[in-house]
Amino acid sequence: MPNDVPPQPIHSAKDALDALAGILGGALPGSIATADDPADALLNDPDVASAVTGRLRGAGSGAGNDTLCRWLYDAFRANVPELQLAVLRFVPTLAGVYMCRAVSRKPLAGFEAVLLALYAHAAAQRGGAGEAETVSLPNLANPSPYHDAKVPPKAKPAELDVAVLSPPLEPHGTMRATRRARIVGAVLELYHGKLSRMPLSSKMDFCEFCVAWAGTHSKADDDDKPRLPPATDAVAGVEKWRRVPLPWELFQPVVRIVAHCLLGPSRSDELKAQAARAAECLYWRAIETMDAPALLATRSLMRLSQMVEEPIPEPSFSGTIENMAELEAMRANILNTKN
Amino acid sequence: MAAAAAEWDSGSEAAPTGEWPPATASPVKGKAALPEESDAGASASGSSEAKVDDGNIQEAESSLREGLSLNYEEARALLGRLEYQRGNVEAALRVFDGIDLQAAIQRFQPSVSEKPLSKRSNKLRSDSSNSGSQHAASLVLEAIYLKSMSLQKLGKAMEAAKQCKSVLDAVESIFQCGIPGVMVEQKLQETVSKSVELLPELWKQAGAYQEALASYRRALLSQWNLDDECCTRIQKRFAVFLLYGGVEASPPSLASQTEGSFVPRNNLEEAILLLMILLKKWFLGKTHWDPSVMEHLTFALSVCGQTSVLAKHLEEVLPGIYPRTERWYSLALCYFAASHNEAALNLLKRSLNKNESPNDIMALLLAAKICSSSYLLASEGVDYARRAVKDVESSDGHLKSVALHFLGSCLAKKSRVASSDHQRSLLQTEALKSLNEAFSLDRHNSELIYDMGIEYAEQRNLHAALKCAKEFIDATGGSVSKGWRLLSLVLSAQQRYSEAEVVTDAALDETAKWEQGPLLRIRAKLKVAQSLPMEAVEAYRTLLALVQAQRKAYGSIKNGAEEDEDKVSEFEVWQGLANLYSSLSYWRDAEICLQKAKALKTYSATTLHAEGNIHEVREKIQDALAAYFNALSTEIEHVPSKVSIGALLAKKGPKYLPVARCFLSDALRLEPTNRMAWFYLGKVHKHDGRLVDAADCFQAASMLEDSDPVESFRSL
Repeated sequence: MPNDVPPQPIHSAKDALDALAGILGGALPGSIATADDPADALLNDPDVASAVTGRLRGAGSGAGNDTLCRWLYDAFRANVPELQLAVLRFVPTLAGVYMCRAVSRKPLAGFEAVLLALYAHAAAQRGGAGEAETVSLPNLANPSPYHDAKVPPKAKPAELDVAVLSPPLEPHGTMRATRRARIVGAVLELYHGKLSRMPLSSKMDFCEFCVAWAGTHSKADDDDKPRLPPATDAVAGVEKWRRVPLPWELFQPVVRIVAHCLLGPSRSDELKAQAARAAECLYWRAIETMDAPALLATRSLMRLSQMVEEPIPEPSFSGTIENMAELEAMRANILNTKN
Repeated sequence: MAAAAAEWDSGSEAAPTGEWPPATASPVKGKAALPEESDAGASASGSSEAKVDDGNIQEAESSLREGLSLNYEEARALLGRLEYQRGNVEAALRVFDGIDLQAAIQRFQPSVSEKPLSKRSNKLRSDSSNSGSQHAASLVLEAIYLKSMSLQKLGKAMEAAKQCKSVLDAVESIFQCGIPGVMVEQKLQETVSKSVELLPELWKQAGAYQEALASYRRALLSQWNLDDECCTRIQKRFAVFLLYGGVEASPPSLASQTEGSFVPRNNLEEAILLLMILLKKWFLGKTHWDPSVMEHLTFALSVCGQTSVLAKHLEEVLPGIYPRTERWYSLALCYFAASHNEAALNLLKRSLNKNESPNDIMALLLAAKICSSSYLLASEGVDYARRAVKDVESSDGHLKSVALHFLGSCLAKKSRVASSDHQRSLLQTEALKSLNEAFSLDRHNSELIYDMGIEYAEQRNLHAALKCAKEFIDATGGSVSKGWRLLSLVLSAQQRYSEAEVVTDAALDETAKWEQGPLLRIRAKLKVAQSLPMEAVEAYRTLLALVQAQRKAYGSIKNGAEEDEDKVSEFEVWQGLANLYSSLSYWRDAEICLQKAKALKTYSATTLHAEGNIHEVREKIQDALAAYFNALSTEIEHVPSKVSIGALLAKKGPKYLPVARCFLSDALRLEPTNRMAWFYLGKVHKHDGRLVDAADCFQAASMLEDSDPVESFRSL
């Protein structure tokens, strides 16, 4: 955990906003500090978002003495649901930068403290250690609210297959390299659960990091560009977000979030395009090891991204003429009864 | 007429139609329009149309009301519809705004006084008055539905949703026992269906996801008398919403469910259920084929790892939908993901037949990948991988690298079971060449780097192996345990034990307690190799404690059904300890450990071999031989037993030398890097007087001595 004591403890969204203004200094426009709804400003305000993500991406962020990480940690631990959402909003950048840098084994105690706090929250939410998140697959031989099935009166219901969606979350007090993917994966699962509340830019960030993590290029990017990045990573000045190991425990939550960005209720074409690109990059990554579940999932996403959504049917009119006839009929009807 | 009946019911004075007696109300009569009247009607509505164009709604409305004797609501409904139809959405909205739905509903509703009547008489009544009041209801409800559509077109999704919801609420209060299938007018049914379908989409657009969820359920679980296509569309959109909505939804609460029925507990279960129902509907011919349904189901099931269930659904898809090679490939992916490698490979073989699509790169790659995991299939895999390398576009370096990688893996696997030295070395060279070529095309693929490291290590090019192991750890940030183990074993093969220990300790630091087993085992063996018996015993003790704790924790859940390859078995620990004690000549302790090991696994070549070892050291040669042969009969390719038999027989005199040589050569065929086998084979040659051969063997043994890892690289 970061050591230095913050100026004051965070109990409310207002506290959090004040503390953040203190940390970011001039990077925040003054109007934010007096926002009517501080929680909403933290979650949705584009200026806050760009200031915070800018700092998170900046060189040297995520170290043990990073005050912004301390802020994220405190804000999340304040146990105010709106504040927790505001922290989750930064998970894509946090996880994205962290995973890329962790591969180079830089000291990132600040990032790790926040991620572990989120992980602990996810584990606590599961209700008891050792609980896996499971899915019982329906068997259509059993009736359900949405369909009937002819079941002999005294027959036993057909057996259900139970799938594990997310294995139990063991407690982790430190970030061990071999558990890194699992911990970050579980944090992404937490983020996934709140996706409907997350602002667009947060999801855009996520898709951007997905592409970097996959380390492959999408065909849509540029036709003459090879699908693999050039061997020399270091471009002077700008830090390149690099490819990271993507075992299933990380790949699965990643692909679920990408699926939301691609096919979820948002109507942003920009997000959909970015998500389609991420899905394609992940597909090419899965090919490297012919990882079958990953291939199936990403291939379906790629296909779905090219299918056109069925529009909601428009009202049908049988044409003006007939409509007129109807009006007349009604009038005649009335006249008729009069007699 | 419709209005007349309705207004008499509610006793309203508002409309001029109130004076007409309802007794003569008859829908049959009503439809029969007289020619001269219809002329007048046409002119009246014609003029109203012109006025609407001018935007003079008030006037148009009054002229309509006069001309058609409609009531206020109905007149507005008709006018608004005209406006909407012409695309004047805003004008339509202004017209619709004047409609008071609540007042209209009250007129259509069966009044409270009728309720005490018996069901039968109630029904009779509604039969007789049904059609007329329905027509009016239809008109007003359609107007509200169109109002909702207009609002949506103007980007006011929230208001649109509220209007749309009021349509459904109204329908529900008019038809309290659900919509009767036969008796409902077509127009009304259409309005109801469209509103039911529209509402959740509007909530979604408005960002009110919980309401969207509730309205989907309301659409599907209430009686709206929807047709199959409409219901299918709603089910599909709902499934999509559940799958990708990112909404934490409470499961549907259904008190009235019959026993044994499936009630989904979460979004994913509900989505999968709906998708399965949709597929089934298609099988039954109730809807048209929609390819996206299968893709959504594929996504949902592969995300939760249930690809064998997915395979079942893919198999059920009727012919003619997917080209068969595509279906085979998809099925192969499903089976491979479910570890049914043989089934997967059989399907791919069919697909790669020269009459189907022999050049399908993805199928070739998958086939090669499957083959690369088995000694028996490696040779076949080489063929697939070669075809893939040949067929892949030369510009596509990425795919080419993947193909070359699998080719290298298959060649390496094949070399392990090669029948001659010559063939083996050819295959090994070729394997490394492919892997290197793959690496030159894609330097980022960590799995490839790892496989190269293993291959170098197997061929005892320890320097290169070390480089690969380090590179792998760098590429993965030390997050993959097998990388640490490879590095540690390569160092141990270089006799750099203390460095190997440092690596192992670093790896232990990066590994959660529960997964430390294989590392602790290496640590114990490193201690043994350094002749630190007390520390070795201590290391084994730690390992034993872990393994026993794991057994207690998982024993009840897993029932030992699945063998996790990354877990050390308790048997292995006792076996290791027994070897350690017998090397220290602590026979009693060694025997106790062996007993423990035997209790866990009765017939094990390793245990029997260790027993033989103890007998041999105690000079009980016959017992020792018997134990070794028993070991061989439990495991026909048990190399240490072959070596021990060969060594024992070589000592028994010249008569036994040819047999001994046979055993030792056999051992070397299976494991060419077995130092002891080379050593004893050298002795045999020496006894037989073939000094040059003997010298070669001794040289091989001494060279290998400097490159033996504490644990075989194949254990990785």
